[in-house]
Amino acid sequence: MSSQFELAQNPTDPISAVKFATNTPTRLLVSSWDRHVYLYDTHAEPGGKLLQKFEHRAPVLDVCFGRDDNEAFTCGLDWEVRRIDLSTGAQTVLSTHTAGVRNILYSKPHNLLISAAWDSTLHLHDLSQPGQFSTVTLPSKPFSLSASPTKLVVAMASRALNIYELQALSNAAKQGEEHVTVEPWQRRESSMKYMTRAVACMPNDAGYASSSIEGRVAVEWFDPSEESQSRKYAFKCHRQTVDGQDVVYPVHALAFHPVHGSFASGGGDGVVALWDGVAKRRIRQYQRFPASVQTIDFSGDGRFVAVGVSPGFEDAVDDVPEGAIKVFIRELTDTEAQGKKVKG
Amino acid sequence: MTKKRKRYPDLNQKLERPWCYYCERDFDDLKILISHQKAKHFKCERCGRRLNTAGGLSVHMNQVHKENLTHVENAIPGRQNLDIEIFGMEGVPSEIMEQHTNVVTEKHFSEEAERQRLSGNPARGGMGGEGGVASKRARVHETLEEIDERAKKWMTDRKNGVARPVKAEAKPTTPAQTAPTFPPAAQPGFPPAGLPGQPPFPPGQFAPPGALPSRPGFTPPQPNSFPPVHGLPQQIDELIASSTAATGEQSAPEKEKKAKKGKEIKLVFFDEHISPEEKMARLPRFAVQV
Repeated sequence: MSSQFELAQNPTDPISAVKFATNTPTRLLVSSWDRHVYLYDTHAEPGGKLLQKFEHRAPVLDVCFGRDDNEAFTCGLDWEVRRIDLSTGAQTVLSTHTAGVRNILYSKPHNLLISAAWDSTLHLHDLSQPGQFSTVTLPSKPFSLSASPTKLVVAMASRALNIYELQALSNAAKQGEEHVTVEPWQRRESSMKYMTRAVACMPNDAGYASSSIEGRVAVEWFDPSEESQSRKYAFKCHRQTVDGQDVVYPVHALAFHPVHGSFASGGGDGVVALWDGVAKRRIRQYQRFPASVQTIDFSGDGRFVAVGVSPGFEDAVDDVPEGAIKVFIRELTDTEAQGKKVKG
Repeated sequence: MTKKRKRYPDLNQKLERPWCYYCERDFDDLKILISHQKAKHFKCERCGRRLNTAGGLSVHMNQVHKENLTHVENAIPGRQNLDIEIFGMEGVPSEIMEQHTNVVTEKHFSEEAERQRLSGNPARGGMGGEGGVASKRARVHETLEEIDERAKKWMTDRKNGVARPVKAEAKPTTPAQTAPTFPPAAQPGFPPAGLPGQPPFPPGQFAPPGALPSRPGFTPPQPNSFPPVHGLPQQIDELIASSTAATGEQSAPEKEKKAKKGKEIKLVFFDEHISPEEKMARLPRFAVQV
């Protein structure tokens, strides 16, 4: 594929997250189990240029950009939430959970940093009040986090799913207390039978998509009215029939396109597919990647998509085949992620 | 308007359908195939222009977008090669063509067999049609002398009370047993097949058993021969038994299939509460460095 390439310098252990900068569509952060966070300029030279590497004490499970393209937040197995100044490389620990921290997310409209850890808590950092954070207790272990302009969706173990209003979380964080209780705006049960793997909110604030370990994706709407709720659906994907047996892969990654509102799913089968959530159509499916697709992110302008490929997430195998850990960057054409236009 | 398609087209109709080299899909019409290829395999992903061939698309990508096309989009593995010039059905390598014919033929017959099994109907065109070819007896060329000889043999055999030699070949029974089944005396009861002006063996019509000497190497089909009297009820029993067995068989695999639907699924990852990351985190090499 002419418009797709892989980064020349890749992490040595599985990739946990890829994230594009909000304003620069060629600035990319990659976090990895090799205890590093990598900062790339994807188009400075062929194969992208590795600008910097930030070492951590433990595998890094997630990364996100902050208020500008020079601020990043990370979290990982050292239980810590860190801020990294990307220009100086200075790292500050913002808070420490009591278990590995799986997800981190920054909400620009509310200037709020949210981390989710396996100790079943969220930490809320109001960035206008440095040095302070508040803990919110969750009913279950969180597995995935996603925010729309006004909502935060937390997918947890036991198929539980909480939707919070970011405003309510922001208000709670402003109180500056150590422990706060925030009532979720909605409590939901996953519409799928198996463990929720990933969740992603629609950029238009209307709803979200979630995926499970059993090759399935569900699309749901926030609006609690019966009419909107009856629109929700789920479909099977990322499956293969081998000798009459259906091999079902987990759907590790979901990401919405910021412009067209379609979404991409990435699975353990190494396949990335683009879906039109409204028309319920698959737009396209890309050539199989050499290993399991762990993470996907679209750039802020929707021109690029980054795909983090690494083996070993399925069965937690110890030895990772050489060379299969890669970040792929694909330049999308104007209409590539666009669903079919409704006729008439 | 397009012609109404038959529900179960025969093999030739299936083989005549144009199909796409790149994805093995088949189409009603060559025009549709070509437009499929232009839309699915030869479309420029940059500007949406539909080219006629992979080579054309490659040149277009090169000249217009300054990019190199490496493979044909949406093609099944092994058919992504740009070097083979395909347009509609033209340019398909002969071995691939043969392979496709074999696949279609095999599928046709397995589908037909499955349909027969389910419906219990005989093969389509069992009389004189496609399926009838197999049951058609081979043409035997005989010289006048041979016929004469055979007729003479039959005459002597009849005089000696020997049952039809071919019959005896097919069913090795003792003359004592055959005699009551085909009493030579009963044979004159059958009208002679040879009516004046007509050949003794009208083509396509089986001679009544025992009425005339059969041709060498020809055994009349069993259903047309008179089965032994005691064998009849037995056959009916067998028929009933086999038909009930068939219906039993039919319901059994259906149940199995339903069971399979729930069963034959292999989850690559399964756990109720522990996510893949938590499992990976337990590996010693990912331990926190102090």
